[in-house]
Amino acid sequence: MSPRSGLSNYSGLPWPSREFVTCFWNRLAGERLETAEAVRMAAVVLAAVITSVSAQAESARLVSLRLEPREIVLAGPGMSQEFLVSGVDSIGNETDVTRMCAVTSSNPDVVTVDARESLLTGRVEGRSEIRAELGSLVAKTTVSVGSDAREMTVSFTPDIVSILTLKGCNGSSCHGSPVGQSGFKLSLFGYDIAADHEMIVKAHEGRRIDLARPRESLLLRKPTFEEAHGGGRLMTVDSEEYEAILSWLNQGAPIDTRGVQLERLELYPGERVLVGPGTQQRMVAMGRLSDGSTRDMTRQVRYFANNEAIAEVSAEGTLRASGAGLTTVMARAMGKVATSQIGVIEARAERDYPPYEGYGVIDEAVFAKLRQLDVRPARLASGREFARRVYLDATGLLPTPGQLRAFLYDPRPDKRSRLIDHLLERPEHASLWTVRFEDWFRNSQLHSQGRSMGVFKDWVRGWLEQDRPYDDFVRTLLTSLGDTMLNPGANFWHPATDFMLKEFSVTKATPTVSRLFLGVRMECAECHNHPLENFTQDDFYGLAAFFARLRVKHGYGEYRRTWYLDEEGEIEHPATKEQVRPRFLGAEAPTIAEGQDRRAVLAEWIVSPDNPYFAKATVNRIWYQYFGTGIVEPYDDFRSTNRPSNPQLLDQLADFFIASGYRLKPLHRLILNSRTYQFSSKSDSPGPLDAALFARYIPRRLQAEVLLDVLGQVTGIPHAFDGYPAGTSAKDIYVPDGPDYFLVTFGLPRRDILKERVQSPTLSQALHLMNGESVRDKVEARNNILGELLGQDLEDTQVVAGIYERAYARPPTEAEIVRITGFLATEHTAGRSRRRAFENVLWAVLNSKEFQLNH
Amino acid sequence: MLDIRPPDLRAGASRRDFLRAGSLAVAGINLPGLLAGEKGTSERSCIVIFQHGGASQIDTFDPKPEAVADIRGSFKDIPTAIPGVHFSELMPRSAKAATTFSVIRSMHSDEAIHERARQYVFSGTKPRNELLQPSYGSILAKEWGPRNGLPPFVAVPNSDLAAEAGFLGPTYDPFVSGDPNTEDFSVKDLTLPGGVNLDEARTRSDLLAALDDQFQSAANSPLIDSMGEYYQKAFDLISSPAAKKAFDISEEPDKLRDAYGRTTVGQGALLARRLVEAGVRLSTVFHWGYDTHVQNEPRNRELVPEFDRAFTALLEDLEQRNLLETTLVVVLGDFGRTPKINFSGGRDHWPGAFSVALAGAGIQGGRVVGKTDKHAAHPINRPVSVEDLGATVYKALGISYRKNYHAGGRPIAINKEGHPVEELWS
Repeated sequence: MSPRSGLSNYSGLPWPSREFVTCFWNRLAGERLETAEAVRMAAVVLAAVITSVSAQAESARLVSLRLEPREIVLAGPGMSQEFLVSGVDSIGNETDVTRMCAVTSSNPDVVTVDARESLLTGRVEGRSEIRAELGSLVAKTTVSVGSDAREMTVSFTPDIVSILTLKGCNGSSCHGSPVGQSGFKLSLFGYDIAADHEMIVKAHEGRRIDLARPRESLLLRKPTFEEAHGGGRLMTVDSEEYEAILSWLNQGAPIDTRGVQLERLELYPGERVLVGPGTQQRMVAMGRLSDGSTRDMTRQVRYFANNEAIAEVSAEGTLRASGAGLTTVMARAMGKVATSQIGVIEARAERDYPPYEGYGVIDEAVFAKLRQLDVRPARLASGREFARRVYLDATGLLPTPGQLRAFLYDPRPDKRSRLIDHLLERPEHASLWTVRFEDWFRNSQLHSQGRSMGVFKDWVRGWLEQDRPYDDFVRTLLTSLGDTMLNPGANFWHPATDFMLKEFSVTKATPTVSRLFLGVRMECAECHNHPLENFTQDDFYGLAAFFARLRVKHGYGEYRRTWYLDEEGEIEHPATKEQVRPRFLGAEAPTIAEGQDRRAVLAEWIVSPDNPYFAKATVNRIWYQYFGTGIVEPYDDFRSTNRPSNPQLLDQLADFFIASGYRLKPLHRLILNSRTYQFSSKSDSPGPLDAALFARYIPRRLQAEVLLDVLGQVTGIPHAFDGYPAGTSAKDIYVPDGPDYFLVTFGLPRRDILKERVQSPTLSQALHLMNGESVRDKVEARNNILGELLGQDLEDTQVVAGIYERAYARPPTEAEIVRITGFLATEHTAGRSRRRAFENVLWAVLNSKEFQLNH
Repeated sequence: MLDIRPPDLRAGASRRDFLRAGSLAVAGINLPGLLAGEKGTSERSCIVIFQHGGASQIDTFDPKPEAVADIRGSFKDIPTAIPGVHFSELMPRSAKAATTFSVIRSMHSDEAIHERARQYVFSGTKPRNELLQPSYGSILAKEWGPRNGLPPFVAVPNSDLAAEAGFLGPTYDPFVSGDPNTEDFSVKDLTLPGGVNLDEARTRSDLLAALDDQFQSAANSPLIDSMGEYYQKAFDLISSPAAKKAFDISEEPDKLRDAYGRTTVGQGALLARRLVEAGVRLSTVFHWGYDTHVQNEPRNRELVPEFDRAFTALLEDLEQRNLLETTLVVVLGDFGRTPKINFSGGRDHWPGAFSVALAGAGIQGGRVVGKTDKHAAHPINRPVSVEDLGATVYKALGISYRKNYHAGGRPIAINKEGHPVEELWS
């Protein structure tokens, strides 16, 4: 959909709204400085007024239809497939119109249509085109019918195991728990087929099955509650599951896995916005089987809604909206998963919507999504808001009063972009991102590598400062070898060693590499197949095999280590005990020449533009740093069951990143220049989707180093670090042996695998800011900002303004002046000096949320 | 940070969860409504004396007088109040009071590296590569929340990486007291800066609240609410006479302070008693210095008597105040130490066997569980795992320890496979 056509066809209130115009005039009046911006807005308003005249005349109407599933292949006569027709309107919203369409078969002898049940049924071998019509709109799908009506052979896997999964038998709270349940233990979600078969067929003298009298088997009597069962009645004797298990027992309960297998599961609709709680939507699931046929699995998958407060889904596949929000609905069968993203909105307000053409890829994607989910975007942040925010985000510092004024008085129309360009070239920008990359690469003292930590920090900083391509950076890290003091990149491997730095562990390196560069969490798959993803233990060890020959030994000097490659060494699969070949995640096993560094082969695959993960994982990480919420959230948990809140946005950013040669600065520039980044943090109508869809700037905490720096900046008394020259930024210190109390209390992580940076508020933080020396000493220092301001012949209000400008990048409001003046008077009455009274004002400002947050 | 659940929190549930985490933590003094909600939660508490570095089982609770000299070590054994049971001569007070607590001699672990071993014993769960299990104090903090406005989990005199909240997040990390065995001991950041009285503090906090109010109404977010709650909580703590009193160890009579010993572990144990008395759920007292790779004899000659005095004084003090019924006291360390003394006159790391002492909260006194071989190297009967110890601690405190938390997108039990050492109750 093109945003332009979307706008012209959209039926909303007349655009522009009165509110927008008022805001626009206020801004013209109040902020004369940004005239260029104003001129641009005036043009937009004018254009919108013209457009709205025609927009009003039309209604939000459907522009296309979609009939799903596509390419249905019924194995033989008598087999059916449920279908779904979606109508797409001019702004991309989709609705279920299955019941409103006339659906016909081009060849009714081959395929018949049951409109009431939305069912296509094969009659004889052949092929037919199915046509859905609504007004002038048409959608088609094809159905072929094979000759074979034979049921799939019931085999232990996937059939029996998938029934155990479907019924929750092998879940972690039942027999899938590590200790099983009542002596019957299954592997979690069926990851260990052999053990499960053994347990069912042979363990405890084979008491669970009775091949002579299959119906008497405990395996059937327990879940039907013919025999007492702690898990209750899970199936009836006339159910399909019962029949399947019975048929498997009749075959002699074999473990063989031959037969037709499920290769892929599809779930429809893939995306849907439901309007109003209570609204229902039919879900349709179709499996693609190994013999090329398809099978209706709508009633044979297990459904989950990630967040039932948003939508619930019944066992039969009927989805029901509960409350506003965005959630993923998942269907699972036979070890496969498929997902659908469901949004729920209260009602379509049909309200005016700002145009967003020409804003660039970020805004187009964000605005399109906002509009789809009927979320109102915030206004553009004011010049002062923007300046404070971008200084903090790009350099980790506040604008000085001089810098702020220079920006506000800059008459050039592109002054925001100019400021961004300027800040991205500041050394502080490199310092700030060095700390973030140190977090990600876990540059830590923990493993006693001592001095090489500084070597690594300097090296990372060098890459960032020169904005060398990130793919090269990653390639260099992944193939690094040698003495950690001489080859800084080799420090990357330290966190994957044991405490004494003596042994390298592939099981630590594998999930780290996977999370960092692929955005995929593989930790689960070390021990069992990923319960929420199509990743298995095989994938984990296939990836681990790339590191199988990496070794570490003592270097010269106690704290130095040397990394080298062994000529041999393989990974053994813990379950099969077989040697595992290196295999890319979810992809092929490469051919690796004798003597070639396996890691180099992996690195090439990771950074290749064809790799589906790398660019997305990287841009999502960077995005997270600016918005506090990833497009995929958590930002390093990409999987099909955890979909991006805005796929178009993620794709666009990834494409941009690849096209700009994997350089980070163009990406920073793109993000900072977007209107999305420059949204105000204030909203007149805050909603539950604001954060997930980036509808406004969500206030974020300053990271420890930044908070400490700006405390120094505002008070004029920088924090003193032992052994560093006065004025050294917290971002630039090598973490000392005794880490700084302030930095640790405010979230500086240990950077081992177990401790990432967490920015949540704590009691110790509040106490430290209220009473601790980090604020107290700076407030009380005679030569601080108060010394400077009070030393001049200034009115109280001017002193207040001086503090405000430095801390908040804005003048105090009338109300604040009144409140503070009142406070100063009370202090005077209480017998406290002017200086002391202002110390208390400064204390309050430094402890205020407006100061401590970026907003 | 509360449950670390898979995606989609951000839409509907995040704010609610966030506030729940916040309000759980803030349920404290001056908030009568919330206080009422605390009724029915456990009134139990716990004090852990942690022998940091790992104490020698032979030189404490499990002497081997029959063994050869370089295993037996330099210390003799002495009889205790329990017939047939001997302790090291470094613990005469414990020997005399042996019927007031119980000892498990057959503890065993397989973690010989300090960090991992401590994570293990502080949580009762085998350390993982990718996720840090919360320690006992953090679990109590989460399950019970604060009482009387005091932080639920306090580390004395300082904290250790292993005794943290792990995946529960910094909200449940311990509050650190500082060393009570110093001249003018005061808790970091708990007292107002010199010259600022409560009245002045209140006035400026009111000003702060006014500044925040305006900002808050404009930029609404759960983060801002939560920060506000912590400020309120911090101010309550600072201005609460009860909290001030709880940390003010100087209120204790000199005689009692002497009885605990004028050492960090002595005064630490006394402070821990004051804290649990006032409402703290769990206080860990770290006794540093047991990593005796060298100079095992002189260092134990100093450390063990310090411990002996502090431990017995604590038990007696709790008993006299009727607190022992509700307070679990646990003595443990990283692991044991090698039976054989090394060439530097030290003992090295030994997870094969070590001793743990427990008292209070319904645990019977005078029980000695398990037995080690002639070198105190391995249990020879009734081996007790670290998981079992965890289940024992949770049982004594009344925590349903099979309960799952969510972290990293999966359910993780508080204690997955331990079984309480039932003999301690019979």
